[in-house]
Amino acid sequence: MSSTLALPRINKLVVLHTAVRFQGFLGLLIVFLLGVAFAPVKDATNLFLDVTNQMNILRYVAETGIIAIGMTLVILVGEIDLSVGAVLAFGATLTAYLLTTAQFGSLGTLVVVLASGAAFGFVNGAVSSAFRIPSFVVTLAMMSFARGLARLVFGGVAIPLLAISQGGSAPEEAFFVNMRLGGVIPVPALLMFAVAIIASLALRYTPYGRHVYAVGGNPVAAHLSGVRVEFTKVMVFALCGVLTALASFVHAIQLNQGAPNDGFAYELNAIAAVVIGGTSLQGGIGTVAGAVAGAWMLGMIDNILNLNNVQADVQLLVKGTLIVVAVALQRLQRRA
Amino acid sequence: MTIRIAPLTLAVLAATTLLHAPQLRAEDKKYTIGFSQLAFDDPWRVAFNNQMTRAAAKHPDFKLVIVNAQRDSSKQVADVETLLQQRVDALIISPNEAAPLTSIVKKAFDAGVPVIVLDRAVLGESYTMFIGADNKFIGNKAGAYVAKWCAEKNYNPCNVLEISGLSGSTPAQERASGFREGIKANANVKLATSVTSEWQKAKAVPAAAAAFQGNKNFQVVYAHNDDSTEGGYIAAKNANLDVSKMLFLGIDGLPDKNGAIVSILQGRLGASFVYPNGAAEAIEWADKILKKGEKPPKKVTLGTDEITAVNAKSMCEKYDCEAK
Repeated sequence: MSSTLALPRINKLVVLHTAVRFQGFLGLLIVFLLGVAFAPVKDATNLFLDVTNQMNILRYVAETGIIAIGMTLVILVGEIDLSVGAVLAFGATLTAYLLTTAQFGSLGTLVVVLASGAAFGFVNGAVSSAFRIPSFVVTLAMMSFARGLARLVFGGVAIPLLAISQGGSAPEEAFFVNMRLGGVIPVPALLMFAVAIIASLALRYTPYGRHVYAVGGNPVAAHLSGVRVEFTKVMVFALCGVLTALASFVHAIQLNQGAPNDGFAYELNAIAAVVIGGTSLQGGIGTVAGAVAGAWMLGMIDNILNLNNVQADVQLLVKGTLIVVAVALQRLQRRA
Repeated sequence: MTIRIAPLTLAVLAATTLLHAPQLRAEDKKYTIGFSQLAFDDPWRVAFNNQMTRAAAKHPDFKLVIVNAQRDSSKQVADVETLLQQRVDALIISPNEAAPLTSIVKKAFDAGVPVIVLDRAVLGESYTMFIGADNKFIGNKAGAYVAKWCAEKNYNPCNVLEISGLSGSTPAQERASGFREGIKANANVKLATSVTSEWQKAKAVPAAAAAFQGNKNFQVVYAHNDDSTEGGYIAAKNANLDVSKMLFLGIDGLPDKNGAIVSILQGRLGASFVYPNGAAEAIEWADKILKKGEKPPKKVTLGTDEITAVNAKSMCEKYDCEAK
């Protein structure tokens, strides 16, 4: 009834294991090839393959990618952070406020915004730890709290963020975010890759990184081995907050405004990227690189569908399907 | 472990067809018009898209591409980038917010793509033309209509309940101030009470109900959008007011089955003023710019249509309404 590939048994297992381990990259490659194959061609240019288009995709996925890196750390220890969208909204509005009304300067603003992210993350981790409340609940509450705070503190309306040369009052250096390396690679994408490299190296080569995997894999065994489980967990939330705040700075500059109502559903995109990239929601298994690949892949899919004039709603269908497929593949790996 | 080929092949074939379906239509259109719409999720926007599609259909050499930003400014920037990547001949955009969309609109304009901004503005002047409605003017016309209606009915005083939109929003502020100017034509018209529904029917009902509790002597209910007027109508009936002696009017004038045209035909709303979207005008100007090289005015302000029981049927024809 169905034709089968007659491969020797051992090779099939190895292929499957490798495929699942690198599912993020494999998925990215497959989507990329599909994109090239189905792209419209105009004036002898493959519209998908075109460098401008690829750079547009990278710029667009950078914020999600940066948040997804932070989310990976949280999911690796077996927790979740639903508040990232709201924290991004607060951070973006704070960025706009500090750069314009408060005239804090670019570096000062960045430092304060990153600190605010760390603070939100720290509260998430500490409350969850101290009161033994599941992070799902705590970060759900923080989602509400941070959003409300953003609206209350900054008046509920978007704060315009324009450079002096654009008629506003923000310093020009802050807009380095809009620059491109060599005129080609957008700064947000460079930030995403830089953060990914640092986080990957830290996870693999530092004791703290190993603790993250240990706590996620088996918290009891980790504790018995002398790992400070609570400290590890609180730190990942703080780190996730810092990365979200970085994304919020990028967000505000790119959009020329800080809006307390932005960032809706950003947590879902980040979690989707992490899961599609091969990180297990149970904890202990996954990579930062996979999350970046997942975010990139989702961005590519959006782009392919847009170039082919497929409805926005279909993109939602595709995203949902991919998440389920990714998790199913992980289950397959564990069974095989 | 076996890898099943047949279902996999079918899946790939299905995906191929799905992705290529839009391209199976005629690819030989001369001009591609890209329309970046901020959302598809309310009746005014749906009517907007329908009118854009109908207008473009009148030009056989126009291919219209509509993209949905789903109320996300980041996504709308990416949408416009993709439209530019598709080498559209003209860009029409209804921007979600002014500041976030200004750079990308400027980029398109500087690259030589004609850009027509509709309904909401961007900052600065880096676009070909802006086509929008004048909320103050429309509010004024509504006020003038009320003044005339109260005079014809000989009501003195003629008490008005105003149900306003979201108080921080420009349309609400303008529809309110224009109305106050318009009713000056009849000194007997009194703006007795003003409540807010934040544009929503569900909030209009309790807001109006509270007003009716204090005072049942209202002759006119004026809301900033038709949906809220309907809410006021429900509250009036619940409060046992004699709705047959009252005037319920609003703004939007939509053709869908929950809209003003059908409501007027069914006898609930007495009048509505169309809040125009500029779709048809945009397509006409795109035609002139692309094919005749005309230089358009920087700003075009749209008028409005007054819809009452007298002309509801012909308005239903004009706007292709969903009357049974």
